Amino acid sequence: MLIFTILTPVVLGAFIPFIRFKDRKQMNMYSLLSSILTSLLVFWLVFVSAPSEKLTLFHITAALPISFGIDGLGKLFLLIISVLWPLTTLYAGYYMEHYEKQKLFFCFFTICYGISLGIASSANLITLYMFYELLTLITLPLVMHDGKPTSIKAGLRYMYFSLGGTALAFIGLMYIISYSPDMQDFIYGGIFTWLAPSNSLRFAYLLFFLGFGVKAAVFPMHSWLPMASVAPTPVTALLHAVAVVKSGVFAIMRITWYIFGVGLIEKSFAQYIPLLLAAFTIVYGSILSVKEQNIKRRLAYSTVSNLSYIVLSVLLLNVQGFFGAMQHMVYHALMKISLFMASGVYLLHGASNIRQIKGAAKSMPFTSAAFMLCALAIAGIPPLLGFQSKWTIGLASLSLPAPYPVIAVISLLISAILTCIYLVVPAFNMYFGKPSEGIELHEKDMRALAPIVFIAALALVISLAPQSINGFLSQIANGTM
Amino acid sequence: MFLLLFPLLPMLLAYPVFRIEKAKKRLGFYALAGLCALFVLGLALLLPAAAKGTGLRMYLPYFAGFSLQLKLDGFRATYALIASFMWLISGIFSKEYLRHGENQARYLLFTLITLGATLGVFLSDDLITCFVFFEIMSFSSYPWVAHEENPKAMRAAATYLAIAVFGGMAMLMGFFLLYLQTGSFAFDALLAYSSQAADKTALYLPSVLILIGFGAKAGMFPLHVWLPKAHPVAPAPASALLSGVLTKVGVFGILVLSSKVLLYNPFFAKLVFVFGLITMFLGAVLALLSIDLKETLACSSMSQIGFILFGIGMQGLLMEHNSLAAQGTFLHMINHSLIKLVLFCAAGVVYMNTHRLNLNDIKGYGRNKPLLHIMFLIGAASISGLPLFSGYLSKTLLHESLVEYIAHLSQHGQSTLIWKAAEWLFIVSGGITFCYMLKLYSAIFIKKPAQETVKTPYMRFSSRIALSAAALLLLLLGIFYRECTIPFATLSLPFVGAHAPAHAVDFLSSTNLIGAFKSLVIGVLLYAFFVERIMVKNGVYRALRPEKADLENSVYRPLLRRISLGMTAISKFFSCMPDLLFAFLKKLLFIPKVIAGLPDYFFLRFSLFAFRTPKEKAPVPIGNRISYALGVLCNKLSQFYQSLKDSTKATTKNYIVVFAKLWEEASTYLKKLSHGLSFSLMMFSLGLLIFMIYMFLL
Repeated sequence: MLIFTILTPVVLGAFIPFIRFKDRKQMNMYSLLSSILTSLLVFWLVFVSAPSEKLTLFHITAALPISFGIDGLGKLFLLIISVLWPLTTLYAGYYMEHYEKQKLFFCFFTICYGISLGIASSANLITLYMFYELLTLITLPLVMHDGKPTSIKAGLRYMYFSLGGTALAFIGLMYIISYSPDMQDFIYGGIFTWLAPSNSLRFAYLLFFLGFGVKAAVFPMHSWLPMASVAPTPVTALLHAVAVVKSGVFAIMRITWYIFGVGLIEKSFAQYIPLLLAAFTIVYGSILSVKEQNIKRRLAYSTVSNLSYIVLSVLLLNVQGFFGAMQHMVYHALMKISLFMASGVYLLHGASNIRQIKGAAKSMPFTSAAFMLCALAIAGIPPLLGFQSKWTIGLASLSLPAPYPVIAVISLLISAILTCIYLVVPAFNMYFGKPSEGIELHEKDMRALAPIVFIAALALVISLAPQSINGFLSQIANGTM
Repeated sequence: MFLLLFPLLPMLLAYPVFRIEKAKKRLGFYALAGLCALFVLGLALLLPAAAKGTGLRMYLPYFAGFSLQLKLDGFRATYALIASFMWLISGIFSKEYLRHGENQARYLLFTLITLGATLGVFLSDDLITCFVFFEIMSFSSYPWVAHEENPKAMRAAATYLAIAVFGGMAMLMGFFLLYLQTGSFAFDALLAYSSQAADKTALYLPSVLILIGFGAKAGMFPLHVWLPKAHPVAPAPASALLSGVLTKVGVFGILVLSSKVLLYNPFFAKLVFVFGLITMFLGAVLALLSIDLKETLACSSMSQIGFILFGIGMQGLLMEHNSLAAQGTFLHMINHSLIKLVLFCAAGVVYMNTHRLNLNDIKGYGRNKPLLHIMFLIGAASISGLPLFSGYLSKTLLHESLVEYIAHLSQHGQSTLIWKAAEWLFIVSGGITFCYMLKLYSAIFIKKPAQETVKTPYMRFSSRIALSAAALLLLLLGIFYRECTIPFATLSLPFVGAHAPAHAVDFLSSTNLIGAFKSLVIGVLLYAFFVERIMVKNGVYRALRPEKADLENSVYRPLLRRISLGMTAISKFFSCMPDLLFAFLKKLLFIPKVIAGLPDYFFLRFSLFAFRTPKEKAPVPIGNRISYALGVLCNKLSQFYQSLKDSTKATTKNYIVVFAKLWEEASTYLKKLSHGLSFSLMMFSLGLLIFMIYMFLL
């Protein structure tokens, strides 16, 4: 069943170029239906009959099985993806009208869904690694979709960074295999509990971190992400705010909590170096974001900063930190995808600069309200989403030894102030400014409006009643699920 | 559970009211007024119940990821009542004030949200609830400031937002540090923790950070910059609320700090006291120098907040005997709220009709307008602390508390010089207050306008009723102080941890009257010699405040610009780093290239060597190469030798031939020898074998 679920979008997506569609609408409908079908399958898997057994597809060598299984963290990632994918597909139907080569776009976009599901439901590191590489390759055409020189350049850089990163991770993988030749499945708390901590293992962890840190956009491996914002907005929204970058974060969670375990990396350079990198990235991403004028690039820098919140929180290496990381992973996904979608609508109407969306609220009240809500939430204005996760992260950081809590909390605060500057101020300007000339905004198309408003409303509901998902998250963080 | 209605009902109703107002003009304002009236009534009914014992509590374990704790005790109920009352009056007045402008619906929406948030802060019983509502209030009051949407308003709004964000973040940082130590946010738990903590120095840093946050909202120096900017540009009813209630929210937070976190702590008390003094004096001076009606009132607000902070400081310094200071503080909060309501609404009436705020433009506007005149007079007299007005009561209480403290110090033989100076500063500030109110009063109501205006109706009936109700309340509070005002003030005592007063204060005693009189004299003298002589030149008011003396424009904004420039430079540097690294790595590719090239290079050399075209060499005529070479050499040598000896004798021997023969002989000889040797070796081995067989056989 699991395999079937993963294969469904891959197969359906791969067929797209070979089917003769009557018109554009039919193709959109086809891809929308296929993503909805997949999501339903995923829901069924997660809620109704979660397979408790691991399923091994085949062995690469006798000791390297490709196997799948759904545990708590996997469920979380599956749910994030499967809720957001159909919505983005709907949005893509609206957005991609003005692009050529739509068949290819939807083909790769749908295949991507399957690959992401594969990442979420892989049961050991080698499977994760394989799908991770696949994701890089599949998303590449999406980044370079419009074929302009900047897109090509961005795509190439994305590829270089990702492949370079996975090369580092590959070295780490060799380490793991040398320590545990039979490639164990992920276990909460790590597979190396029987080993005494050693510096070579810590070094392997560092390699993994740097490798997977590429997709998580940790400094200095971040620069592909802002460049990749030239991609069509559905791609930036879903892949570069959720699926791809979160799969990097997901992989870091996997290696930290399910492979190496806390005991091995705690209070050593393997914890502190990544921690400092992440703290630095938080502030750094925000600063660059303040200076950026292009809306999508600004949001991309904001993503850089916010991803590091998650990474930082994972690296606090306590249960509360893990909890906060997952919280921010979910919350950031909701907030950022909505922001990106809204910015895509502005972009289609010719407003690519942050100054051009002044006074936009008059002509598009709902989109602007969603933008406002998500901007406030991401800046961490209580009682909205971002505040709760940042609060958890801040509290979790207090358990670290001396200078680190201060570094963590101060970087969170500075970034919160900067977030207010780069997102909340433009959001306010949408309400209190004269609309700039030559740009006519409207929000008549329900395909764009519905996902944006739906996600923003979801964010609002969760922020008022977070206990609905917090119980689930804390079960994962405690390893009881 | 019904306590939750106070913050949530306005927020929930905000959007319906917004729609109603959009659909049908003016109806939304009635809804606002109705809701506020309901609240006033409800709180007035709840007040006796709340004042008894520990008051009413509400605890909601799940709310937005935190718990929500609300409590209604005497202090909170009174202040919530005041806030609802102010919203009621300002709501009624805003209906008329905003009738020509745009965006009334938006104004209503945010006014309602702010009402809910403000009540939420006043009712909160833990810091996190307080913070959540505080932040909502900070953001939802932004549209008030930005209401006019002109550049000046937008700039003021930006300042407001920046200070709010900065203050909020400082506060959040303080909360983290506080939580690290106390592990709880409930006010009771904080009090319990701090009262048993032996060393309170660890609480100082979080408290100061939280003080920055609340102080920013209260308008405490040096974060007061938003006050004189935001109040003049906001609509007058909103200014009244900004100045009357929102600043009090900041004061409420500082009260929480001083009475829950650092109760009776001399360090914190002195800190608040000093900043209170600075704010009080600076605000008064700024108000004196301003010639803008609303800016004067805004600076006056700042100064009055200074008085309140002064009282909070005195509470901490007087420790257990602080009932006077506590009463004075609370009473001054109430007074200031109501006074500013009246004064800002009066200013609103002026602005509504003239669209001017500069004193030169509105000179004499108030002549022949008795209601406006009386209203303004009550407010001005009250804020200046004229005896029998409510401001006199609170100022006397505050003054009395300082006098008591000085007496206490001198009893213990400590120096009282600084405190005497503070007392004088207090009196002088009171004097300046009187002076600038006199300035406004004389400008609007006494001086003759440039041209006499036609008498027209300047206020509608509803506004008249509302504003005169507010003024009347103020008047009553001053006159019936024994029956009404002082009991109200005692309600606050449990909240700030003060005991019941040891003795009642005789407000009409000669010492107290003389104290007030000193202020009044200073005020009159200042007015006569400063305002009339220096500020007014040829009947025109001149702004004496130098342009540079603006903390915001000359310090904060340039500083921020520098910081942002610096940060950009640093981040640019870091963003170049990966690219530089790549460039460097690309350069490094040279080394593997060299290494990769080395085998090629050697192979090339080798192949050149191996496949070189062999040189054509002359075949050796006789013998082999070595013998030939030796022969040639010897020939040369012998020629040389011959040439030295004698040149006549010709060369006889050709050494080439000699050596060739020699080589031939040697080679045949060696051949023979080798054959012989191998033969003998063979024989030897054979012998050895036979010998060994023989040995084995034996």
